[in-house]
Amino acid sequence: MASFGKLVLALSFVALISCTKSNDKYENFVKFAVIGEIKGVDPVNASDLYSGLVVGHLYDTLFEYDYLKRPYTAVPNLTEAPPKISKDGLVYTFRLKSGVLFQDDPCFKATNGKGREMVAEDVIYSWKRLADTSTQTDGFWIFDGRIKGFTAWRDEMVKAGKVDYTKPVPGLKALDAHTLEVTLEKPFPQFVFVLTMPYSSVVPHEAVEFYGPDFKSKSVGTGPYRLVKLNRNSEVIMEKNPTYRKEVYPSEGMPGDKEKGLLDDAGKTLPLNDGVIIKIFVEDQPRWLNFMKGELDYVNIPKDNYDSAMNGKELKPEFAKKSISLQIAAQLDSVYQTWNLEDPVWGQKNPKGKLLRKAACYAIDSQEFIEKFYNGRAISSQGPVPPEVVGYDPNLKNPCKDFSIEKAKELLVQAGYPGGKGLSLNFETTGGTTGRQIAEYIQQSLGKIGIEVKISMNTWPEFITKQRQKKAQFFGLAWGADYPDAENFFQLFYGPNESPGSNNSNYKNAEFDALYKKAAVLNDGPERSALYKKMSEHLVEEAPWIYQVHRIYFYMSHGWLKNFKKNELSHSYGKFYRIDQDEKARLKKGL
Amino acid sequence: MLAYIVRRLLYVIPITLGVTLLTFVLFNVVAQDPVLSKLGKHATQAEADILRKELGLDRPLPEQYLFYLKQCVTFDFGRSWSTQQKITEMIAGGMGPSLSLAIPAFGASIFFATVIALLLAFVRNIKFDRTVIILCLAGTSISSLSFIIFFQSVLAYKLDMFPISGFDASWVDRWRYLILPMIIWVVIAIGGETLWLRTVMLEEVFQDYVRTARAKGLSENAVMFKHVLKNAMIPIITLTVLEIPFLYTGSLLLERFFGIPGLGDLTVQALNSYDFPVIKAVTFIGTLLYIGFSLLSDILYALVDPRVRLG
Repeated sequence: MASFGKLVLALSFVALISCTKSNDKYENFVKFAVIGEIKGVDPVNASDLYSGLVVGHLYDTLFEYDYLKRPYTAVPNLTEAPPKISKDGLVYTFRLKSGVLFQDDPCFKATNGKGREMVAEDVIYSWKRLADTSTQTDGFWIFDGRIKGFTAWRDEMVKAGKVDYTKPVPGLKALDAHTLEVTLEKPFPQFVFVLTMPYSSVVPHEAVEFYGPDFKSKSVGTGPYRLVKLNRNSEVIMEKNPTYRKEVYPSEGMPGDKEKGLLDDAGKTLPLNDGVIIKIFVEDQPRWLNFMKGELDYVNIPKDNYDSAMNGKELKPEFAKKSISLQIAAQLDSVYQTWNLEDPVWGQKNPKGKLLRKAACYAIDSQEFIEKFYNGRAISSQGPVPPEVVGYDPNLKNPCKDFSIEKAKELLVQAGYPGGKGLSLNFETTGGTTGRQIAEYIQQSLGKIGIEVKISMNTWPEFITKQRQKKAQFFGLAWGADYPDAENFFQLFYGPNESPGSNNSNYKNAEFDALYKKAAVLNDGPERSALYKKMSEHLVEEAPWIYQVHRIYFYMSHGWLKNFKKNELSHSYGKFYRIDQDEKARLKKGL
Repeated sequence: MLAYIVRRLLYVIPITLGVTLLTFVLFNVVAQDPVLSKLGKHATQAEADILRKELGLDRPLPEQYLFYLKQCVTFDFGRSWSTQQKITEMIAGGMGPSLSLAIPAFGASIFFATVIALLLAFVRNIKFDRTVIILCLAGTSISSLSFIIFFQSVLAYKLDMFPISGFDASWVDRWRYLILPMIIWVVIAIGGETLWLRTVMLEEVFQDYVRTARAKGLSENAVMFKHVLKNAMIPIITLTVLEIPFLYTGSLLLERFFGIPGLGDLTVQALNSYDFPVIKAVTFIGTLLYIGFSLLSDILYALVDPRVRLG
């Protein structure tokens, strides 16, 4: 008995020293989680979603997406106003805001550590870094072949083996400290969109020179926050930047935003909190439990917790009682399965390959697919372009998305493969439970029409390499929008972008390429809309992909988190969130 | 013994050369070209060629191998391809949290397993012994993931006894985050270790010297602790010392579920992203540790068992 008493005492002691205590220092920090590591905070390497998110909070781009408005609209961030664009669409003149300061840092030796003002030359310097191969950036594509003379400038630097930042780029001119003129090779109507991307953030040359390679882990930006802690696989802490310029919360939103309280802070100075903490949880459970405990302010409901949180498409009442609310946000993405279209049977070399591809599409029950793998949280795609993207055609109808085994079998007969006899496919997928389950589902679905599907499991690098070497016969992937314009999805079918480029199905069609080239230089308007419509219809008819789903995320947020409107394209949304401290103290007691 | 130690240390040279060569062949010759997977989603062949040059992969293989050898000798493994951090700093930074979890947890599991195994050997073949064996078997049969999910959910979330996850770099505060993962580690490991150690103890219990000791009238406690435990030390040392080098990469699952910034996650991230310099560095350091601890275990054999002569 005495031993048992000691054991209880020991456990109590353990619990006492371990029990959760909130850290007051971070009470007014917004906390949320992501599911992948943060590779670094150098904008030129912000190729993945999560690094881009951190960079977006630390640095600024010339434009950003309006926080509340939909469809997504690019609005000035470091510029005073939208650019002046010449009539031929080739010359953009940007007027930069004055008084924008880089955060204080020892790299500013001339000012004794005081951050200096950002000027137009900083923008040019930062963009030139995207052409500097020693930074190992993969972001030059945003300007490649677009800004006059920039690609040639880069080629020259590669040949020389060193970048000379003093050598001018013909298309980039600082007219004065606050005026930047950019000349394009050809019209690029999405140019302002790419200037919202973290790659194009403005950095001071002093910091890059001072920190050298360690600049990947340091931040000296003009953004709303400054870096306190960067632990790439567990936590990033950013606190309010005291020298951040005067920016205010938007005063216009969408119908219904006012009623939801999303305009209550209109005109208030940003950021509306003391900082942002981003936790990295690869696993779902800690993310979910931390949210339920109030340690995270919002969460994307993990797949395995969906049933415990939701009654169909409604949040269960017990969550509403805790002032937890639900928000549904469409992802600007397209999930698909595709073939290497250079395949002699399934590809474009076989005149009847199109029939085979459509047969495969008919054989997969899209609704069941959505229920099984997304808990119903997805829209069945009709084409590659997702909703909320300029150029999305809500009336587009893809006949093969109407699941029909009979129709699939009929197409196989027409293609000369009755009963699927002699047809086989090798489906390449990545490791992980869901990847394997999806592969098995596709295997079973195509098996019903007699097509034998073998599954090859790969690590992610193996998977990508096989595609880029054109060695993957059949595989599934998703594409997330770089910017909200259908052009970003249509370029996935443009012949010159074949592997290792973004056209990983290696689709080549002269008619489509001509339409793409024509549309790519047009501004939004009836002519371009008509071309986009034609391209969507072409892609439905030729079936280079099985257009599977556009994902929808279900977010839960605590009642104390104000102004929560998920903006899937913003990289700096943390600055708009506000924590209601009184409500937090009250609601946390009930968790 | 000194001559033995010197000779074993000299073996380190050919062994590490062999390991470096094998690692190099695996990653630089046999493995897929890492360049294509490293390019962003708007890759081109020209970009691939530029990156290959930046990573030094366009150089002749012997030159690449010599460069790797130089890195091993100088302990300067360069920078990660993925994060551009200095690899030595990455490993040093991850090793602390990993070892903070692994060493106490491993030590505790070995200690408790030894005590339980000794007790079971003492009271063998009674109901208690069989019950513990069944519990140990059940413990080894349940996946470690289930233990983690259960304990995190019940002890941290429902009972609020521990933080759900987190880590503090300060030596004082880190323990409140590490206690629950340590408990889980012990629970996961103790079943298998106890069963194995019980077998070792039982082998000793039936030896002649035990019978002699009992015949001399020694108490059962003296028999078990002074004789049986001492003679069982060699397998215990083997288990313990040779396991230590593997502790430095931590426990991937525990680190991931509890947000501990250790080497387990770092190594897996490196494998998943074809970050070859990091993988090669972790492998090389692991090899050195394994060689070092093998030597240590040999020395310990001689210390605990006078019959063992090193030479």
